Amino acid sequence: MRITIPHLGNVYLAVKILFDSLGLDYVIPPLNSREALSLGSKYSPEEICLPFKLMVGNYIAGVESGADTVLLVGSCGPCRFGEYPELQIRIMKQLGYDVDFIVLDPVQSIGLNELFKRIRKVGLESGKSALSKIGSVFLAYNAMRLIDEIEASAHAIAGYETNPGEAKNLLSSCKKEVFSCSDPVKAVKILNQYRNRIKTIPADYSKKPLKIAVMGEIYTVIEPFSNLYIEDILMDMGVSTVRRLTPTWWLKDMLLKTINLNSRELLKASNEFLPLYIGGHARECIGEAVLAAKEQMDGAIQIFPMGCMPEIVSKSILPSIAQKKKLPVLSLVVDEMTGEAGYLTRIEAFLDLLERRREHVCTRC
Amino acid sequence: MRIGIPKGLLYYRYHAFFETFFSELGSEIIVSEQTNKDILDMGVQFCVDEACLPVKVFHGHAASIKDRCDYLIIPRIMSICKKEYICPKFCGLPEMIIHSIPSVPKVSVDPLYMRNDKELFKWCLSAGSAVTRDSAAIKKAFVSAKKAQKKSRTGIIEPGRRLTVMLAGHPYVVNDDYLNMGIFNKLRAKGIGIITEEFVSDGETREEVKRLVKKPFWTFQRRIFGAACVLIKKNLINGIIYLSSFACGIDSVIIDLIRHFVGDFPMLVIKLDEHTGEAGVDTRVEAFIDMLERRVLNENYNPSPRECVLSGQNPV
Repeated sequence: MRITIPHLGNVYLAVKILFDSLGLDYVIPPLNSREALSLGSKYSPEEICLPFKLMVGNYIAGVESGADTVLLVGSCGPCRFGEYPELQIRIMKQLGYDVDFIVLDPVQSIGLNELFKRIRKVGLESGKSALSKIGSVFLAYNAMRLIDEIEASAHAIAGYETNPGEAKNLLSSCKKEVFSCSDPVKAVKILNQYRNRIKTIPADYSKKPLKIAVMGEIYTVIEPFSNLYIEDILMDMGVSTVRRLTPTWWLKDMLLKTINLNSRELLKASNEFLPLYIGGHARECIGEAVLAAKEQMDGAIQIFPMGCMPEIVSKSILPSIAQKKKLPVLSLVVDEMTGEAGYLTRIEAFLDLLERRREHVCTRC
Repeated sequence: MRIGIPKGLLYYRYHAFFETFFSELGSEIIVSEQTNKDILDMGVQFCVDEACLPVKVFHGHAASIKDRCDYLIIPRIMSICKKEYICPKFCGLPEMIIHSIPSVPKVSVDPLYMRNDKELFKWCLSAGSAVTRDSAAIKKAFVSAKKAQKKSRTGIIEPGRRLTVMLAGHPYVVNDDYLNMGIFNKLRAKGIGIITEEFVSDGETREEVKRLVKKPFWTFQRRIFGAACVLIKKNLINGIIYLSSFACGIDSVIIDLIRHFVGDFPMLVIKLDEHTGEAGVDTRVEAFIDMLERRVLNENYNPSPRECVLSGQNPV
């Protein structure tokens, strides 16, 4: 069994560490690119959302390099993400690829037994003992947590650094180094080193950079290719960004959801505007906007794929939050047709607006 | 008290229930007009750009009656069958209305689960409490509303002279004469029989979706996909006309599923949005009907994919 996975931001690094330490055979497809997107949109239904298309592109690349099993997480509604495997299995079959799909659905909808059965399918391939398997899982989780932390610090420090571009360079060399290291324990060590290094980047905290919250649909927010590397763009422009939705957050959220203790802070903040779960991460998006206003950020950028049902609801609520909480919000819709020039112009214009707003209007005095 | 009920979305399915319930409680009911140009324009003006056409039209309906009523019924229908949903936009509908339309009156915001009487009654209690405090009266109104709902039927079944097509799509698109561009009359004029998904039983659709890898979690996905497969299997239809609204997330999945399962069985997908012109739709429907006629009447050609469906194998 050779396993492949679809891309989601930096998850591939943690998955690589997991599989390396479990001793499993795997293929990590090349990072998302124009090719993956054009392959994916060629074979996907026309109106499906962007993540679906990119994922199909990943599967094809993975299977072409020898994988025979796709491992992915699922959900059971009400957003389209839950129907992904149904269609993707058919598409892959129709293209003549013989692949097995292992879909890890949430416990609430398929039950603990079925979930364990699916996990065991992967687990049996590994020759390690049960104890060392648990150790591997914790090692991978730790790696994921470290990567998210490094990324968050890099994004936060970008506005303050004395030598512009240092945080960005450090982040990219960190990813490269971890990916080329095949010893899982050493990889985690590297991550630890980078975490310390990123904290010691020379920075001038007397600067007052723009602070922006990046929020919206989880895939397009986390996967840099799908949002045209917005966080890198903002880092280049010397803007500090905060993003609450990370793979680690998602994992915690999924686990704690079973006992209804997930992300209390976000949900509490969203209560005023959207008191119910409506699928996807619409409620979290609303909560993030409210919290961003509370933390006196300069603005927020919402990103979602064209046609994303939950985020359309949150987009219609955001103007009210913008008005009541005095938080400028820019909504960006991405799909396979998004052009870079138009996208950049809008971000630049938004940043200009935020800067001027700070200079002229006495919003917070 | 004047109760406003917008004539959009699942009004087409549950209007008997809502109207009877509130009129039994002794309130005046104001239903918005049939969808028309003004309502559509208002909807486009107020609603968020990315939303689908039926949601925009619903905004228009709500805006058209908001000044004439004291209480607006925006049912937040979470689910109408056990373990199934409708669409995320339905779950956030009251919020969409409140935050998009200026100066709306009081709106019903409680979640409405129609899975069983108990949960439905819970909603009625909270919605009815705006009109009266008398819970016995609410109970009475609830019972007669349920009766009225049982009697009412949506959907159309009409025998045709030679051909029958299935009009597939969400009930709020298929049954809205403005959104569907009067397609019923167009087909009637050509002597084409019509059948909609309502005439296939729940049990049959449930049986049909067992062939899928994953149990569908949208009620209309199960209903429409299941009904299309059942009708083809029973040889009751010659083609499918799918009325789909642009950017409808659920349709994007259903249409693809139907295509996978029926192979080259004739299906015409008409995408509707606020820019759709009637002439283009007419041309496509006419061409589709011509094609069906030639296929069925002249060549007497029976499609092979149907045999695939019959034998239960997957033509993929």
